[in-house]
Amino acid sequence: MTSLHTIQSLFYDAVFDRKKDSSALSEISEYINATPGLNAQDHFNIYRDSIIATLNRALREIYPVCCRLVGEKFFNGMGTEYMRSHPSCSADLAEYGGDFAEFISGFKHASELPYLADVAQLELAWHRAFHAADESGLDLAALDEVSETDKPHIVFYLPVSASLIASEFPIQHIWQVNQSDFEGDDRVDLDEGGIKLLIWRQDYTMRIDPMDDVEWSILKQIETGHSFDSLCTILSENKPIADIENILPVLVQRGWIASFSIDD
Amino acid sequence: MFLLALIMAKFEQAVISGAGIGLRSQHYQEILADKPEVNWFEALTENYFGDGGLPLHHLEKVREHYPITLHGVGMSLGSTSPVDHNYLAKLKRLIERFEPAYVSDHLAWVSVDGHFVHDLVPFPYTEEALKNFVNNVMQAQDYLGRSLLIENPASYLGFDCADMTEWDFLREVVARTECDLLIDVNNIYVSAVNHGFDALEYIKALPPERVKEIHLAGYEDHKDYLFDTHGYRVHPPVWELYRSALDYFGPVATLIEWDTDIPGFNVLMEEASKADQLMRAVA
Repeated sequence: MTSLHTIQSLFYDAVFDRKKDSSALSEISEYINATPGLNAQDHFNIYRDSIIATLNRALREIYPVCCRLVGEKFFNGMGTEYMRSHPSCSADLAEYGGDFAEFISGFKHASELPYLADVAQLELAWHRAFHAADESGLDLAALDEVSETDKPHIVFYLPVSASLIASEFPIQHIWQVNQSDFEGDDRVDLDEGGIKLLIWRQDYTMRIDPMDDVEWSILKQIETGHSFDSLCTILSENKPIADIENILPVLVQRGWIASFSIDD
Repeated sequence: MFLLALIMAKFEQAVISGAGIGLRSQHYQEILADKPEVNWFEALTENYFGDGGLPLHHLEKVREHYPITLHGVGMSLGSTSPVDHNYLAKLKRLIERFEPAYVSDHLAWVSVDGHFVHDLVPFPYTEEALKNFVNNVMQAQDYLGRSLLIENPASYLGFDCADMTEWDFLREVVARTECDLLIDVNNIYVSAVNHGFDALEYIKALPPERVKEIHLAGYEDHKDYLFDTHGYRVHPPVWELYRSALDYFGPVATLIEWDTDIPGFNVLMEEASKADQLMRAVA
């Protein structure tokens, strides 16, 4: 008798037709009862359609602007292609689609929209920030108490919800005009140029903050976990030179630096 | 005395009665602003698996005013793969934080070899599947330190290698584990129509003392089969079957579930009030 594991594996393979030859579908159908009006494959297809629709809905919820840019039909087709090579590995649907941007960048049917993958990156960062752990912000009193000897060893951290995203396209503008409540001129000139963004959550408010090249270089270095001392050294050698002593308080005030520790 | 107080506190925490409503994000603001008279809410477990943010914040606020239950779709107890400890750890974290009256999942599999289909897929009811399911339920219950409610799914296919009915299978699961049952009357009706069995026979075969919760929802008629969309008011034949179920099970806490095309909260209140009336008639 066929094992339960074989039946479940066949069912899974048939849903996504990973071999692209419908062989799993033929095999699983042999185990399924026909009923008046529906043959075995009809019964199976109810599940297949439902599963694909569920995963596409999950992708649309994470990437609503991408869906709006290409239309739901195209998006679902792209999503269904994605599913074949990218299984869901968590019971939490909100974790699905983490590498959708990378998939889009290689999806030849979307090559006419070169900014689409970057918009997807922005949307994923937004989604992750929405569900990220709560944080109370930088403890300024504790920072004030750090001794002079420990100060060079301070390691600053961005908010746990934060993602740094750079694009050669005006993805923030594209994102803004594609919000359901946007009113006004929805045209975007791609020649506006690129943008650097910090996407994060302050308490329960979502933030998409643009920044200049100096701020970007500081935040990128902070993200890699350097101590304050080595941060100063690296940034003094960088072009453009970042005046970290003066810029840091501004970054703190904006909430872009959320915590610190002392590196041993 | 301390032990008695502890037992009583646990007992009080576990009791819910009357009609409850499925908690959906569309209704958070209204619930928190108006504090409607609802006996309890059921939260969808996986919606609160994030590390933080608004969903957990809202659930916390709702929990301050109402008892809740946690209802999951991702434990995949019917899978031949072992129960995912990462999943159980997240669930345990929620249980400790929100102290739900019940924790439930389904008689179904949703993943195989670590890959998820995110749908409640049935499996052939055989002795092999029974041992597998019982083993998974016991593992999950051991880890969580509490018993689960197992819900019957709506199904759209049957396997020719099955050698027992769904209700015999459920009865055996209950006999071999410490779990209880969440009986979805709409699902029984949908499956009965789709597979051509007698819905009342199903209900009468279940041990009434182990039925702790009932679900009610609306289905969609696809001509050749009924589809469980949770997108409509409860249909008249399901209300009829519910009446019979209450006769057998007694006035078991009953949830109004709605997942697609979610209506205004008043519609859910009306459905809950109808269930409450029927429960009072058998109390």
